[in-house]
Amino acid sequence: MDHIRNFCIIAHIDHGKSTLADRLIQRCGAVEDREFRDQILDSMDLERERGITIKANTVTLPYTAKDGKTYELNLIDTPGHVDFSHEVRRSLMSCEGALLVVDASQGVEAQTLANLYLAVELGLTVVPVINKIDLPSADVDRVMEEIDRDLGLDAFASIKVSAKQGTGIDDLLEAIVTELPAPKGDPQAPVRALLFDAQYDAYRGAVLLVRFFDGTLAAGTRVRLMHSDAEHKVEEVGNQRLKRVPVPKLSAGEVGYVLAGMKSLAGLAIGDTLTEAERPAAEPVPGYREAKPVVFSSIYPMATDDYEDLTKAMEKLKLNDAALIYEKDSSAALGFGFRCGFLGLLHLDVVQERLEREYDLSLILSAPSVRYRIVLNDDKEVWIDNPSFYPDPSQIKEAYEPYIKATIMTPERYLGVVMELCRERRGVETSYNYLAAGRMEVVSQLPLAEVLFDFYDRLKSITQGYGSFDYELLDYRLGDMVKVDILVNGEKVDALSQLVHREFARPRALRYCERLAKKIPRQQFKIAIQGAIGGQIIARTTINPFRKDVTAKCYGGDISRKRKLLEKQKEGKRKMKMVGAVEIPQAAFVAVLRTEDDEDEE
Amino acid sequence: MPDAPSAAPGLYLHVPFCSSICPYCDFSVMHAASPARQSFVARLVAEVALAAPTWRDPRPFDTVYFGGGTPSQLRPDELVRVLDACRAQLALAAPSPWIFLEANPEDVTKDACAEWRRLGVRTLSLGVQSFSDETLRFLGRRHSAREGSEAVETALAAGFDTVSIDLIFGQRGQTTEDWRRDLAAAVALEPQHLSCYQLTIHPRTRFGVQAKHGQLSELPEEDQAALFELTHRFLSDAGWPAYEVSNFARGPAHQSRHNRKYWDHTPYLGLGPSAHSLAAADAHSPARRWWNERGTPRWDKRLAAGERPIEAQELLAAKDLAEETLLLGLRTTAGIDLDGFRARYGADLLAANRTLVARLVDEGRVDVRTGPEGGRRLVPTLSGLAVADGLAAAFDVSLPN
Repeated sequence: MDHIRNFCIIAHIDHGKSTLADRLIQRCGAVEDREFRDQILDSMDLERERGITIKANTVTLPYTAKDGKTYELNLIDTPGHVDFSHEVRRSLMSCEGALLVVDASQGVEAQTLANLYLAVELGLTVVPVINKIDLPSADVDRVMEEIDRDLGLDAFASIKVSAKQGTGIDDLLEAIVTELPAPKGDPQAPVRALLFDAQYDAYRGAVLLVRFFDGTLAAGTRVRLMHSDAEHKVEEVGNQRLKRVPVPKLSAGEVGYVLAGMKSLAGLAIGDTLTEAERPAAEPVPGYREAKPVVFSSIYPMATDDYEDLTKAMEKLKLNDAALIYEKDSSAALGFGFRCGFLGLLHLDVVQERLEREYDLSLILSAPSVRYRIVLNDDKEVWIDNPSFYPDPSQIKEAYEPYIKATIMTPERYLGVVMELCRERRGVETSYNYLAAGRMEVVSQLPLAEVLFDFYDRLKSITQGYGSFDYELLDYRLGDMVKVDILVNGEKVDALSQLVHREFARPRALRYCERLAKKIPRQQFKIAIQGAIGGQIIARTTINPFRKDVTAKCYGGDISRKRKLLEKQKEGKRKMKMVGAVEIPQAAFVAVLRTEDDEDEE
Repeated sequence: MPDAPSAAPGLYLHVPFCSSICPYCDFSVMHAASPARQSFVARLVAEVALAAPTWRDPRPFDTVYFGGGTPSQLRPDELVRVLDACRAQLALAAPSPWIFLEANPEDVTKDACAEWRRLGVRTLSLGVQSFSDETLRFLGRRHSAREGSEAVETALAAGFDTVSIDLIFGQRGQTTEDWRRDLAAAVALEPQHLSCYQLTIHPRTRFGVQAKHGQLSELPEEDQAALFELTHRFLSDAGWPAYEVSNFARGPAHQSRHNRKYWDHTPYLGLGPSAHSLAAADAHSPARRWWNERGTPRWDKRLAAGERPIEAQELLAAKDLAEETLLLGLRTTAGIDLDGFRARYGADLLAANRTLVARLVDEGRVDVRTGPEGGRRLVPTLSGLAVADGLAAAFDVSLPN
């Protein structure tokens, strides 16, 4: 066990975690240079493109240290976003040590702090790594000061690297061996292994990534998942190199994969404990918490004909995204689709993009919603995450909405606007702390619903990109919600209904109306677009009809061309949804349902 | 398969030559001084001979339309040669088809008119374009306002059945007053027919190039609409009601019986550069439209090689014809014969577009009327004609399988 080091890399987005991981893999010779693809751990296209890690990946690296011994370094990659914090926790729990990457020019960021605290809480040994020292804007001294003061870590123990250029990587590998502790555990005890990630393999089914705390496991053993209480027979165990490499057994302290003939990831819970069916461990690995969806949205195919394809895609996606939940949904305007629950906004984004890219679907997503707790007049309690099912206001006694604790890091000069943003979004108990010279932390209790609607983009915009944001769910509090409907020529567009705090109903409705008005092409008759609460109109815009839309000449030589033009127009219209004889292009739904604000500010 | 319209076919002959090329024109035109002018009549006669055996419609052509370009660039003896070839090779209506000739005012003299009359020309269509010298200069025309008026008077005096005046409106800077003056001048001359075209800037023209560089633009939609309405109201009040988006006649007898064939799918044979032809469906083929090489040199070259100068053709399925019926019908004041449409295409336009039609009637764009023969018609109003292209696109014309 002395030759094993289990570690992860903690970093803010863009601070170079993936590049650093690439460099470690390359230096350990786990992959030939010529077959090296940058950022190997971020295997999804989407992750590669956005430079963020969504799903944790793991790799075992053989490393011969200066002491002449060969070590097995298990790099457990962690997802880099708040939506996936439950996965981060599992990943950290699988490690004894963590490399904390800080960008040499940008310094310590909010997310770095959050994950550091988590690592410290879980008892990990943390080695600070200052990355991007090659940048002209690098300020290593300042960053060392921040590491010392803000993080409370020994700045002089920090390793200075340029992952991009490969400098400092040897020092870092030595530090991993010398500074990080080896795992402990009893190989003879009953198996106790933490399921910290799972992947889906089209041929083998679920691939469980586990950290063994106790015991030894080989193929043929029956295992049990302690929380989900399911039993399976192990088919294969092995190391997760860049490919899976089977080994005869895995035991305490090791990290590896387990194949147990499970056909999908459905029903698997990250954080579950794997043990032997015959000889179960007394206690599971502590800290298990179910991942609960907090953001809800309906997904519809742009072309109603694509519903079958969407159904298949959702099924496949679910195979390797255990956190995604969905059920069938339908809208008069958009046809059949799925009501989905997500861990957060990024998770929603990821699902949308994966459906669009990997399954080549064009989608419309309804406005994201939180889940409300409604107490009816008869004291019955209902949970509502879909505006369509919102009870009639006369039946509602009390409505509760989820609140979060938002932690915002910002340079001091934006403190005023950040506080104002929190206030606008119904933030309460907003407070701030000085973190370091010029840097502030604002903590506010906000309704989650207000964060779903372009909060992050607004924050980025008012802090000129410097603000960062993290949140955790707090509790449910009394709220005053109304259902706002959008009507086109008097007909309700059900997919555009949304639940809003009463205070924001009118501006939100007007914004929807205006966005729709911009995107619905003028027609041959006047179009009224209205926002309404029940029967009361609270916002209105009008699209004036065409007054002149006819070519002057139409003789023998013009007719075929005109017909083809018409066919093309009609082809375009086929992709539109009809509401009250008004053709609404998909772009209008997309524009209206977009949460960002950018276009309105043009 | 749709029934063939019962009306007799029309013959179109395209004469591309012009003494100068107008900056707004995107027809197939060519400078009269080009070498192709010399061989043109021979080539056209050759095309008549090549096309005749392939034209299977047995009904005689009852219209012959010389369009351009400037057909008045052809000398009377040349027109005779072409007409003789047509008479020899094709079935023309007896005793004579209705012959149309487009002419530029500068070619209109008393003698020329007499010659044209003798050839059987019954409609003379004059490219007057404007009665304002300033506008004529802007449009690159070679005649003056006064010459335009005189040409109209000469033509009217010559005794053609129909004298038609082409006018253009809607250039930048034109006010409704300017245009009203033009219309009043035209009406005062009392031609039997008027074509009033809104200026369209086409990309492949001198105006198009200027527009690309921001030196020129079409009028804003509101102004276009105002001029369009003025045109229709003014001419209707004066006794020249519209029968199509851009065409006005002093009574139905003076409506262009040739152009109307284009709008109701009557077959037509087009000869000369860029000319289009339509053959009705028959036992051997669905309806078919084909068109000649657009450029005169290519057209000339292929005929010189003994080939028919056809560039391409398309077969028209019932749904294509139905679409066209809609888009063409909505451009005419007669509108669409709904019963005829259902009989021919098996689709009920009203039933398939109920909500739309209700909205359009509300908005005053269309009416559903009982026609003179008792059948129901979908008829555009004036504000409907002004948006006829958009109307056509709004309708669902799905046909039953």
